[in-house]
Amino acid sequence: MDAINARRFGSRRFPALGAGLGRVLLPRLLQAGLVAWLVGTLTFVLTRTLPGDMAYRIAAGRYGHDMVDGAAAEAVRTELALDQPALLAYLSWLGDLLRLDLGRSLVSGAPVIEELGHLLGHSLGLAAVALLLSLLLGPPLGLAAGLRPGGALDRVSEAVASLLRALPPFALGLLLILLFSVSLGWLPAAGHGRSAHFVLPALTLALALAAVSSRVARHAMVEVSGSAYYAFSRTKGLGERLSFLRHGLRNVALPIVAYLGVQFVTLIEGVVVVETLFAWPGIGHALVHAIVARDLPMIQGTALLMGLLFVALNTGVDLFCHGLDPRRRQP
Amino acid sequence: MSEILLEGHALGVHGEGVSIAPVDFSLARGGRLTLLGETGSGKSLIAQAIMGTLPSGLAASGELTIEGQAYAAAEGATRRALWGRRLALLPQEPWHALDPTMASGAQVAESHRYLRGLGRRRAREAARRDLVGLGLGLADAEGSLPGELSGGMAQRVAFAAASAGGAPLVIADEPTKGLDAPRRDAVVRLLAATPQRGGALLTITHDIEVARRLGGEVILLRRGRVVERGPAERLLSAPRSDYAKRLLEAEPSRWPAPPPPPATCGEPVVEARGLAKWRGGRALFRDLALSLRPGEIVGVVGPSGCGKSTLGDLLLGLTGTDAGEVKRAAGHRLAFQKLYQDPPAAFSPHWSLARLLDDLVRRHRLDRTAIAPLMTRLGLDRELLARRPGEISGGELQRFAILRVLLMEPRFLFADEPTSRLDPITQRDTLALLVELARERHCAVMLVSHDPALIERLCDRRLVLGQGEAVLAPESLDAQAV
Repeated sequence: MDAINARRFGSRRFPALGAGLGRVLLPRLLQAGLVAWLVGTLTFVLTRTLPGDMAYRIAAGRYGHDMVDGAAAEAVRTELALDQPALLAYLSWLGDLLRLDLGRSLVSGAPVIEELGHLLGHSLGLAAVALLLSLLLGPPLGLAAGLRPGGALDRVSEAVASLLRALPPFALGLLLILLFSVSLGWLPAAGHGRSAHFVLPALTLALALAAVSSRVARHAMVEVSGSAYYAFSRTKGLGERLSFLRHGLRNVALPIVAYLGVQFVTLIEGVVVVETLFAWPGIGHALVHAIVARDLPMIQGTALLMGLLFVALNTGVDLFCHGLDPRRRQP
Repeated sequence: MSEILLEGHALGVHGEGVSIAPVDFSLARGGRLTLLGETGSGKSLIAQAIMGTLPSGLAASGELTIEGQAYAAAEGATRRALWGRRLALLPQEPWHALDPTMASGAQVAESHRYLRGLGRRRAREAARRDLVGLGLGLADAEGSLPGELSGGMAQRVAFAAASAGGAPLVIADEPTKGLDAPRRDAVVRLLAATPQRGGALLTITHDIEVARRLGGEVILLRRGRVVERGPAERLLSAPRSDYAKRLLEAEPSRWPAPPPPPATCGEPVVEARGLAKWRGGRALFRDLALSLRPGEIVGVVGPSGCGKSTLGDLLLGLTGTDAGEVKRAAGHRLAFQKLYQDPPAAFSPHWSLARLLDDLVRRHRLDRTAIAPLMTRLGLDRELLARRPGEISGGELQRFAILRVLLMEPRFLFADEPTSRLDPITQRDTLALLVELARERHCAVMLVSHDPALIERLCDRRLVLGQGEAVLAPESLDAQAV
């Protein structure tokens, strides 16, 4: 009898961590494919429609601006078959993509995938430090503000967050450089190699991220601490500390983590700007250079990587939420 | 000989716009005390004053004695140490009071673990015993998240979680709010177990039937003042105060019969055939056939979430059917109307009622002269027109909502629990008017309520939802010919 019951109600048990994982991963996989195709196509169309002669630009990228003449451009045009019809070029690129072949850089001649692999490491390092920093700054501040809504900390942090969010990353970066490198001379203004080089670019990104996540955390805390279940936990006799740990933390974390998915847009777009500003040898920096040089395979490869990175990071957020919130694991 | 668990000496509450006049009470072991009063009578504030959880801006006065220990009511924080251990509060809406992201069993077990100091494993076993003892199937409730529980199940889980600390004194704040009659009675039985075990129970309710079933002493409150108090049997059968008499008369079972239904003539106003609607892989109803004739009042009953409001939306054409068809009689496009549950939510808050009515009249080119006679019929004073929706009582506002809807000369009106937020006396008067006017104007009404007695008293026919398929009560057979 018990065995029958156990089987019959088996599905009513608390959902296991792995339950419903397919529902998270499958759509993301499809999304990754779609993103790859869309990003590749868009960059292709956009580069083709950019003004100026591609061959000249590429030749300039290879030999330097002063060395370019009509003959060099013609040589490049013939070598790279730039005068073939756009559709044909598009289809051959698509075919290469299906074989996971991103081609070779038109400028350096090295395989794009190798170049990107090298650059990606730098970018991910910077992004990870920035994200970690933003999580250390934003949510704790938000929770503290949310425990006393309307208090001094709440109002000051709201003003600062609005200001930081309103500043574009390059302006924020410049201000930080002015303050810490030019005026105080504490930190290097640009470059790469020592850990001190991480501080300013990571801080630029982190402040923009923390500005938003602190407010998300603050609102989540206000909502949770005003909720009936939080009040019940207290009157049940659990006390402030246990109520926060057992019923506050997880419920507060949910919107913060979920919002991280949105914030990755800021992070990835920020990486492009910040890397350029601080001369950080990552994919954002490479993208800007590739666009200037009309290095189509590099542009496509970089944009593709960023698109896929966005999908991958969001999948990570999904998985994290999946583990955090049992409601998502229900059948 | 009987030990006093809770005593209130001149316990009062005052602050921003509310005040509760000082009241004395005492509860011995095995005792039951019920604070009965309509919404807005301030009865929940007394529970909060005892617990020490009054919102800021309100202050308690007087003294409390809990198990022999004296407390100043104004110092709320002094009772925190009692929470869960000596003083248990059963929350108003258990669905919201349970953490939506934690399994039900764990929410009971944590009380055992942290309040009684049991180990993780023994706490889980104790929680399991509690849930089974409350008639919850083990596999059903323990691992379920609150969102998967029915209202009645959530109520029992919340009860187990609140009482796991073994507090002898239980305060239940509107424990039956939003529950239908069978579930309400189950909760009452659950509550009654506390005094039987030697504890004491303080219940706060607006439901006369709950007070009657619980017995013990009843304190009847109105606008923050004690109107009458005494043993439940006496007070609820032979009240002395005028207000208590009117309150009892307003119970649906004592309502006078409504005017007779019109002879079933005239084409049906709205007709449905083979109607089905699914939600979450479950049929709310299927194969539903019904037909409403002019002036007919049809009641809809069923537990919360059974699709009563959805049926209304289907009949009004606000949502699509999954199967079957709805046929509405030809007529002007405003002929199918809805009356909402929460009057303040159905009015724009920042304009005067005169302006709101005026906008409506102009927008739909209605007959302005119809307003004054209707206001007289509905007992609405002309002075009210100058006020905003938030500045008149819920009963008055709902009558304005009726006025507003009748101006459009509806032929079918779907009234979705139109009086559930009103006190019993206002409820009776409002519904009586609605029925009378509908009859007069040959408007078919579908009236939703969770109170079967009300539907029985008022309606010509009854539709029961929530059993997988809709059941039309037998008295409707003659009119049901579709």
